[in-house]
Amino acid sequence: MTSALQIAAQVRTGALSAAAVVERVLAALAQRDPELNAVTRLLPERARHEAAAVDAAVAAGCDPGPLAGVPYGVKDLFDVAGLPTTAGSSLYADAPAAKTDAEAIVQLREAGAVLVATLNMDEFAYGFATINAFHGTTRNPHDSSRVAGGSSGGSAAVVAAGLLSFAIGSDTNGSVRVPASLTGTYGLKPTHGDLPLNGVFPFAVSFDDVGPFANTVTDLRAVWRVLSSRDTDDARTSWHVARLGGRFRENVAPDQLAAIDAIAPGAPLVDLPEIARARSAAFLITAYEGGALHRDALSRDAMAFDPATRDRLLAGALLPDELYAEAQAFRAEYKARIEALIAKFDVLLAPATPCTAPLIEDPRILIDGALSPARADLGIHTQPISFLGLPSLCVPLHRPGRLPLGLQLIGRANREADLFAFAEGLEARGIIGWSKPGVIAPAAKLGATA
Amino acid sequence: MRPPSFIPKIDPFLLCLIAVVAAASLLPVRGQAAAAFDVIAHLAIMLLFFLHGAKLSREAIVQGIGNWRLHALVVASTFVWFPLVGYATGRLASGWLDPLQDSGVLFLTLLPSTVQSSIAFTAMARGNVAAAVCSASLSNLLGIVVTPLLASLFIHSQSSGRGFDWHAARGIVEQLLLPFLAGHLLRPLIGKWVDRHKKILMPVDRGSILLVVYTAFSAAVVNGIWQVLGPQDLLVLLVISAIILAVIMGVNALVAKLAGLPREDAIVLLFCGSKKSLVSGVPMAGALFAPAQVGMVVLPLMIFHQLQLFVCAWLAARYARTAEEAALAPASNVPQTPEQIAHAAQARGITIPAACSEGVAANLSLLSNHATRLRDAPPPASA
Repeated sequence: MTSALQIAAQVRTGALSAAAVVERVLAALAQRDPELNAVTRLLPERARHEAAAVDAAVAAGCDPGPLAGVPYGVKDLFDVAGLPTTAGSSLYADAPAAKTDAEAIVQLREAGAVLVATLNMDEFAYGFATINAFHGTTRNPHDSSRVAGGSSGGSAAVVAAGLLSFAIGSDTNGSVRVPASLTGTYGLKPTHGDLPLNGVFPFAVSFDDVGPFANTVTDLRAVWRVLSSRDTDDARTSWHVARLGGRFRENVAPDQLAAIDAIAPGAPLVDLPEIARARSAAFLITAYEGGALHRDALSRDAMAFDPATRDRLLAGALLPDELYAEAQAFRAEYKARIEALIAKFDVLLAPATPCTAPLIEDPRILIDGALSPARADLGIHTQPISFLGLPSLCVPLHRPGRLPLGLQLIGRANREADLFAFAEGLEARGIIGWSKPGVIAPAAKLGATA
Repeated sequence: MRPPSFIPKIDPFLLCLIAVVAAASLLPVRGQAAAAFDVIAHLAIMLLFFLHGAKLSREAIVQGIGNWRLHALVVASTFVWFPLVGYATGRLASGWLDPLQDSGVLFLTLLPSTVQSSIAFTAMARGNVAAAVCSASLSNLLGIVVTPLLASLFIHSQSSGRGFDWHAARGIVEQLLLPFLAGHLLRPLIGKWVDRHKKILMPVDRGSILLVVYTAFSAAVVNGIWQVLGPQDLLVLLVISAIILAVIMGVNALVAKLAGLPREDAIVLLFCGSKKSLVSGVPMAGALFAPAQVGMVVLPLMIFHQLQLFVCAWLAARYARTAEEAALAPASNVPQTPEQIAHAAQARGITIPAACSEGVAANLSLLSNHATRLRDAPPPASA
């Protein structure tokens, strides 16, 4: 795999043309996507046009941008000019075409990146599995019998497979971090509202965020810099680290706990109080906002929705306003309380998912000793962090030949730079890192392990 | 918390109904007074339809008209299931009944549905009134043609059937559809007032039903129902009527479940599909049977009519109570019972498809657990 920054460096110097990169990537996607089912629409015409613009800028001696000629894909809920924004649903397959690109796509184009595809997701981003009735199920590049996670499963799968060096997804309750953990890529959920959401089909506005995937920390930081436009050169070189305790040390794979303890052996264990209550409030806010968003369409024709999301959205649409207000009031109070509790720490360590990727034919996972739907519960460790609006970087444990597992590095609001710097140190120590999908050891193929 | 009561709660409306039947038996309205009561009952029904027309939005009416599946199920119940059940019951009870009463049992099952009381009961039970107006009217209009046809096929009478009854059709139009349309056309002027005073509909619904029962039962008493019928005849006819009504209501409840009808439409099928019209039946019997036979032929219809009014009144009151309980459930609670879910969905203009009912209930149960956890705040830490 060639990293995004390696491609950009060669394109910027003229050693490699953006057009050639795009042709190679389009061919690879056409050849290998059928086994992944990660791509919903290939955009060859647009990609060639954007690549030609980058090559022309290089030829003219202009700065083509930090991501010059780097192909990427976006989750199927970003506005792409000239195409309907489907949000992974057949309901919007024939919707009017978007007139302009989403703001994130505009920023990436200005940075020289080349959009080549839109990518699969759970319908309306409601799920952690990318099992989609309209587009089919996205398969995990490390084991095609397993889910890639969701809802940004297509974005995670193409990056994990090495087909694209980065992709953009969205994260409401863990929809970047869960698939990143299950496919072994890096994925960032930024500080809530920091990355541009204009032109992104919403799900639950209280928690929606745009988030990038990449296979190296430096690539991820480069993409984040383009999208964030915040100064990032003030990262720390030493960190106050804590390990999250309580519920974050239950429903966890032993390898995740071992890695957390190895990364920060003497770090204090911080127990976030009332974490189950916070997750319940997050569930209620998400269900209410998702249901309210789709209420008109549900009243017109509920049966047109994906069976996997329909009942959940209908239930959310029936939640009382008073309950939603209670959940939001608790959220405001809880955020203030937890921010005070963790104020002295730069990085909090926590698992990203409770287990490795579950099987597609039986997408259930063990939570508290009982089987539970992966679609709802893979986000058990990510949802409380979204509730707090904090940035969280999902990093893959380096374990070639085994099913991937990720950790969350959680930071203070607007301190993503600290997380990238901390992750680079772990990458250098060989604790975390992308592994090329290959043969999974037979022992690792037995069910979703916690 | 109120302790559970082991004494069955008697619905006040049912008590009113019993009082009205007793009053009609002891003091039947007759002669000029009967005519006056007829006019009052008609006016009450016209007022009822006028108010429903003003209350219902254009969207609800269009949706009601377009509910073809429901209308088809009501028509099938009235003209297919009912005759089959009537035929089977008549065969089984042939040794117990006078042959003319036997024909009367079959005849009553061939009749169209009632219009006024079906809709009034639907309104009382918080069902889909717009669809009930369409279903009941359609059944009644079809009955003018279909009932004589079915009667000529199944019953060997002294008189042949007659053609389309324009008088009956005009009655439906004048008494029901015109007031309904007038109310709806005046909705821009009076709609807000009606919306603000929704409670006014309840006494009009119930009052019109009581008036219809009183005038109908008075007519039966005046025509000598208690003289013609011995206690044994009455008992046999009551049992047969009860069997027919129970089977038809059971079939309709099952069909509603199998077809996945939402609660509001299931109520329409139950009330419009399980009733028979005395108003249509008596003149039709006069046309189809010899004058000397008419009295005995319409007897089963009169018994059935009273029974259906009682049973439907009890059911409608029960539905109304569950709907009221759902509405009175704390607004901040997650809806969980079928009534609460139906009430919440109706309030948001959503129809829960039958295929989703189970899944929605399961998800709401999950969300209710989350709501409990959210509200289950830990006690404040002691110093």
